[in-house]
Amino acid sequence: MGSTGDAVGEPVPTSAVLMAAAKHIGTRCRNENLAFLKCKKDDPNPEKCLDKGRQVTQCVLHLLRDLHQNCSKELDSYAGCMYYHTNEFEFCRKEQKEFEKACPFP
Amino acid sequence: MTEAVIRKKAGMASVKDMPFLQDGPPPGGFAPVRFARRIPNKGPSAIAIFLATFGAFSWGMYQVGKGNKIRRALKEEKYAARRAILPILQAEEDERFVKEWKKYLEEEARIMKDVPGWKVGENVYNSGRWMPPATGELRPDIW
Repeated sequence: MGSTGDAVGEPVPTSAVLMAAAKHIGTRCRNENLAFLKCKKDDPNPEKCLDKGRQVTQCVLHLLRDLHQNCSKELDSYAGCMYYHTNEFEFCRKEQKEFEKACPFP
Repeated sequence: MTEAVIRKKAGMASVKDMPFLQDGPPPGGFAPVRFARRIPNKGPSAIAIFLATFGAFSWGMYQVGKGNKIRRALKEEKYAARRAILPILQAEEDERFVKEWKKYLEEEARIMKDVPGWKVGENVYNSGRWMPPATGELRPDIW
């Protein structure tokens, strides 16, 4: 299974990596996500919510970089399993348990 | 010819006087055959059958409910993951869209610069709400 990082070492936010880290994103970037969604609900114009969108992107990319530094092997295996099974959680329980043991939620 | 030789009787005048050879009952007759109905009246009563059916049905529905709870939890997990990554995907798409929209507005200004009275830029609906552009092709680079 490939690695979640590109040539520089930054984690690439593919769908498998995002779904694998989804629980972490949900807890650690919750405020940015909610602010962005509230801004979108008030005005769906994309130009009006660009700053909040940038905050969301930065939060998620920092989180992915942290995960890649702290537990890159478990993240790689979990994201690889997700990629193989197209983002079905039920097929990757073993990798999910190892990943959550290595990098627990805050 | 051979039957007459086998079954002949002394002094018989023709074949028609041969003794009979019939298929019949053994001497003393056959054994008696019972043909009367004897359906036994034991087994579970009506109440017992009804309770067993009701019990099997309710246990089955309980198992169905348990399975539905598990399935709902799995679906909830999948939906929660999708909800968590929705903002970053939307933010990335917004950035891309704003870049493309600026290019599109410049192109429109260039094309319509000699038309009098054309308010270059957005000429979408009058409701005041922002609507996505309805040009018929959302992502021509992908299609």
